[in-house]
Amino acid sequence: MTRDPSKFWNPYLAGVALGLVLLTGLVVLGKGLGASGASFRVGVTLAEAVAPAHVAAAPGLRGVTEQGSPLDDWLVFQMLGVLLGGVVAAYTSGRLSVEVLKGPRISTAGRIAMALAGGLLMGVGAKFARGCASGQALTGGALMSVGAWVFMMMFFGGGYSIAYFVRRAWR
Amino acid sequence: MSPLPFWSLMAEHREAGLVVSLLVGFAFGFVLERAGFGRAQKLVGQFLLTEWTVLKVMFGAVATAMVGTVVLDGVGLIDLRAVADSASSATWLWPMLVGGLVVGLGFVTSSYCPGTSVVAMASGKLDGAATVAGVVVGSVIGGELLGVPAVARFADGSFLGHLYLYDLLRVPPAVVALAVALVAVAAFVGAEKVERIMGGKAPPSPARPRRAVFATLAGLGAAGVVMLALPHGTTAAPRAPARITAEALAGRVLDAPWNVRVLDLRSAAACAEARVPGAECAPPEALKDLYLADVSGARDLVVVAAGDLAELPAEIHAYPGHVLALEGGFEAWKAYALTAPEPPAPGAAPQALAAWRVRAGLHSALTGVKAPPPAAPAAGGVAKPRKKVSGGGCSG
Repeated sequence: MTRDPSKFWNPYLAGVALGLVLLTGLVVLGKGLGASGASFRVGVTLAEAVAPAHVAAAPGLRGVTEQGSPLDDWLVFQMLGVLLGGVVAAYTSGRLSVEVLKGPRISTAGRIAMALAGGLLMGVGAKFARGCASGQALTGGALMSVGAWVFMMMFFGGGYSIAYFVRRAWR
Repeated sequence: MSPLPFWSLMAEHREAGLVVSLLVGFAFGFVLERAGFGRAQKLVGQFLLTEWTVLKVMFGAVATAMVGTVVLDGVGLIDLRAVADSASSATWLWPMLVGGLVVGLGFVTSSYCPGTSVVAMASGKLDGAATVAGVVVGSVIGGELLGVPAVARFADGSFLGHLYLYDLLRVPPAVVALAVALVAVAAFVGAEKVERIMGGKAPPSPARPRRAVFATLAGLGAAGVVMLALPHGTTAAPRAPARITAEALAGRVLDAPWNVRVLDLRSAAACAEARVPGAECAPPEALKDLYLADVSGARDLVVVAAGDLAELPAEIHAYPGHVLALEGGFEAWKAYALTAPEPPAPGAAPQALAAWRVRAGLHSALTGVKAPPPAAPAAGGVAKPRKKVSGGGCSG
């Protein structure tokens, strides 16, 4: 395979491929795709290492520690798979390189701060929504869950509502 | 029930299930990277209107998986509602509205979502790694917030259970799936128009795969419209109802009564005398007054006859949701819940002891007769069934 970093899959075929991956998970495991759940479990594991007594007393955190390690879960294994799949795909496409992706007008520190802040928002939001773009919009959306479609509408609504203000970071 | 027993991959063959999870994750990550979702510019372009890859890939994936599950359900390979109950979360309306908004704000700020940030990190993008760290810390902060009683009340409020679009719209799932496929094609056409207007920087998609995907989705959409025109109910051939054991029914009635509706089909007098907790007395002549064809199918319907039920009444057949018949009818319930269970022999297996405790607790709660303690010294009283969902406000 020739490595061309600017070459991507046809978006329609990529969509069908992603749908088939999701379908495989649903049929074989009875589970879809998820990302924020694994992040939460990693976070609780870290918090447990720092302040075990606090985690054991926190009603919003201890739920995932009751059955052994929070990391012993299918979501965490799927996340490991995403990491591996991402490395292999990036290496074979020539896109594996250490860098900061940013627009021409923003400093590296500014871009990192925005990335971190956005991550924080998504982490908090995903706890309330019981999932993120993978768990709610993709999986729940495909299974016609009403909550997932509400999530999807609000996700795009929230995004477009502030897109005007962040466009300077990219142009 | 699904002939592919995915439950066993989550329970008995857990190691195999985790390996499959890893493989599914690998494919997920690989496809996301190849679609360009490891690059912030490609993702945020959706919101700057310059590039509509996010919509094309996401909508395409949702439509593909949706049509796929509906077709597999149609040929009997999976049970759509069982898969959906297992793989999607229930609906909490307001928390999901607010959560979706906050995740959307975070997406545009970071230009990644929690899944794609992992792919970006995997391809060496440091901004992706920063987003991953943000999501990890943010979800712990979210978890901490849920410890505040007022916040927890909000997060657990407006609970609607497992609610699906086909319950809400009262059409067969296939019709929803095919309508979504049609809307997807319309959205793709619209997206390409906007891309051309916004400068045409995005390379046009090669025509052949594009046409194939469009034609397939549009064809499926047309098939859905035809199905909608067909009279409903012709496909539902009478068949033996799915069964539920008295033990499983007791578990559901006690653990999550808001997920189940129990109808007692015996005579009103027999039902008035004794029935499953929470059951409605619905003698056959009163069934038509329940308008089962027109109510939401979100809850599973369990019918209780005097004995085993060979065939469901037509009114029950019209119920849009899942219907189960109590195995052995009320006689089985009587034997399970209204008869004092034999205490397990000393040294019985812990599972047997636990099952006995639940049964003895149920028996004494329903009859007022206290069960004698088991012969073996056992600490504690009757094991209480654990409540899985707090709040919700619609417990029966």
